[in-house]
Amino acid sequence: MTRVFVTGMGVVSSLGLGREAFWKGIVEGRSGFSSIEGFDTATLGRSIAGEVKGFHARDFLTHTERKRMGRCSAFSLAAARMAVEDAGIKPEHLAGDRTSVIIGTTMGEADVIAELEDAWIRRGADAVNIARIPLYGSTLLPIHLARAFGARGLVQTLPAACAAGNYAIAFAADLIRAGRADVVITGASELLQKHQFQGFVRLGAVAPERCQPFDKNRKGIIIGEGSGVLVLESEAHAVRRGATALAEIGGSGLACDAHHITRPHPEGEGSLTAMREAIARSGITPDQVDFINAHGTGTHANDKIEAYVVKELFGDRQIPVSSLKSMIGHCMGAASALEAVACVMTVQTGVYPPTMSYETPDPECALNVVSNTAVTGKADVVLNNSLAFGGYDAVVAFAKPGVLPPPPAASAAA
Amino acid sequence: MRPLAITGVGLVSPLGIGFSDFRDALNRYDVLGDKLFVRESGVLAPDKLPDPLAAEVSSFDPTPFLGSKGLRNHDRLTLFLLVAAKQALQDAGLKENGEHKVYSPSRIGLCSATAYGSLDAINELVTVAELEDPRFVNPNRFPNTVINSAAGYVSIWEDLRAPNVTVVDGNCGSLDVLLSAETHLSHGRADAFVVGGGEVLSDPLYLGFRKLGILAEGNRTFRPGTPEGHGMRIGEGAGYFCVEREEDAKKRDADRYGLVIGYGNAFEPPESDAVIVHASQKSIERAIQAALLDAGVSASTIDGVVGSLNGVPMFDRAELAALSALLGDGVPVIAPKSLYGETFGSGGALAMACALSWLSGKSVGPMVRGTMRDKPRTLLVVAVGFYGNVSATVITA
Repeated sequence: MTRVFVTGMGVVSSLGLGREAFWKGIVEGRSGFSSIEGFDTATLGRSIAGEVKGFHARDFLTHTERKRMGRCSAFSLAAARMAVEDAGIKPEHLAGDRTSVIIGTTMGEADVIAELEDAWIRRGADAVNIARIPLYGSTLLPIHLARAFGARGLVQTLPAACAAGNYAIAFAADLIRAGRADVVITGASELLQKHQFQGFVRLGAVAPERCQPFDKNRKGIIIGEGSGVLVLESEAHAVRRGATALAEIGGSGLACDAHHITRPHPEGEGSLTAMREAIARSGITPDQVDFINAHGTGTHANDKIEAYVVKELFGDRQIPVSSLKSMIGHCMGAASALEAVACVMTVQTGVYPPTMSYETPDPECALNVVSNTAVTGKADVVLNNSLAFGGYDAVVAFAKPGVLPPPPAASAAA
Repeated sequence: MRPLAITGVGLVSPLGIGFSDFRDALNRYDVLGDKLFVRESGVLAPDKLPDPLAAEVSSFDPTPFLGSKGLRNHDRLTLFLLVAAKQALQDAGLKENGEHKVYSPSRIGLCSATAYGSLDAINELVTVAELEDPRFVNPNRFPNTVINSAAGYVSIWEDLRAPNVTVVDGNCGSLDVLLSAETHLSHGRADAFVVGGGEVLSDPLYLGFRKLGILAEGNRTFRPGTPEGHGMRIGEGAGYFCVEREEDAKKRDADRYGLVIGYGNAFEPPESDAVIVHASQKSIERAIQAALLDAGVSASTIDGVVGSLNGVPMFDRAELAALSALLGDGVPVIAPKSLYGETFGSGGALAMACALSWLSGKSVGPMVRGTMRDKPRTLLVVAVGFYGNVSATVITA
């Protein structure tokens, strides 16, 4: 099987646009949290989110494109354009049936359906804007990107909830390894939307002001939004066009808890399987992993189980662990895509991002948390963890190019 | 692709629950006509919708399959998928009396498609939040608004711990799941997958397509794939199949319904940058060619086609033209959606069920062109999306 490289990345986030701005904010430990401006939160008791406020679709999309897509697609198309520019990949390298687009999300164009629903239930069927109906449907996320770049291969949306980014990246890499694509534009996109926010508040999952992963006094998630998109290429394709490989996609692990729709397995069974598989499929052992970008949501259940799994896998070794959600919040489907971008940046720079608002260690989360200040260290191989709604667990390894052994043949991969 | 043996089938459809009922109904297609499309719906709200007409799974009762406990907060899609999965796993012999018999739970995954899966749950949530109070939103039903919720519940009910993948690719998703499964099997992530998809009727789904003006007029005969086609009717259903590597199925001496030997997909954009919904003959041709190439067979080996034909003239014309260009006009093409309508994310799965029925020689459904051949060996299944996205598979007996 071929090696798969990341050659470009784009970001829309509450910390800024583009991978450099995003990474600068992360390394500085800035908070992307602010009072929600997109909708009224007066009766909810929660009003803080990682809302993207500096994004103007007109800076990235044509007028026609803006008319035919919602904000979720606009996020991903903007991030994809940044990623393609970052990759320095020419249009002729993207055009054709050897380029695919695989995008993850949780709720897709949630603002479009909310607008249509709102008109219907308040004012009746005649009030529903016909011109807006075709914009709904998660199918469209990758379609918009394929149209923009001339991609003619598989277009697919993977709605894998909070693991959607990792699911998309893992499947994209597998497609390339299976010889079904040379280039895949992949990642995930999610937007902050009123009804989604209300639902999470009703679930009792939302913290008042801060997200404090692994802290003893953690109070839940802060919801975020954004998009992270990566350009993945086969080794041969990247070499042929003289591309710079930012990182290699190592092995990935996908598993399902099959336990509870919102709660993780009490012994982290699926998460442990996914981490073990990601390491084994990278052709390495746990001691070769340098850093873990944790799922670290700031909920009691997730952080406790994730910490348990890391201890199970790494034993007494105090492997550095951090969670970006302390700065950008839980961006749902986009979370692990944005975190994948950060993993690649860690591989590139040797900087472990901080977990902000980490104040009181929790004996139930006895991890080596990179607390409040970024640190530098060895970053040959890093893991991107995600544990999602539905019991979905997905882990992807990112490595410095040339560090991992050659991937095995497909038939021997088991 | 590495061939996938289909060893189990589970179906919830307007034609019946289970493969046997489905095939029996297909046998009576000429009598059925478009009788499955009803106005006295148990799902759609006639007081809210103009002229509701759809093919629904009437009087759907999951309790004979699932029992009565733990169902209260599941939405209709989840219940469809749970019933279909249970049937498929039992039919394949992978489970017996709820116990895994062949593979461990960690070696069985799920690849499940839907296009608009959580729409009715979103409708429920928005209605409560907007017309009553956001604080009245039921936290136990909120998870249903997440697209992968239904597939997540299937894994929980059936204890499937290998990758659980929900695929959204419009009308093509439940053929795309075959690629997902084959990819994951090839990479050793599982030994068997439950694959397929589901879609359910809901008021907003119906209203959306009605307002877009592409639904057929209720007082005219519904004839997809014919010159009289003048629009689409919609339906609902779910279809799951157990797939295993061919050698694994042989090793355990499993009965098989068919063998998936090829998959192809394609995407083509519209000519106008402003257009979203469009039909592309080129895309259909490319997807079919890719599927034939993947299967390693020539067009002349195709004995029949299960079409995606849904009655919308521009899509039907493009599909028939593509089939003519690649296969000629003599190959029989059936249009099963004339019986149950467009079912979006489950369309490919129900079409696969038609193909398996056809391979068994039992029934074929309504034919729109060509000459029927005895004992078909190799069939093509086509799924045409609304955006230039197309998928196709080749299956043999």
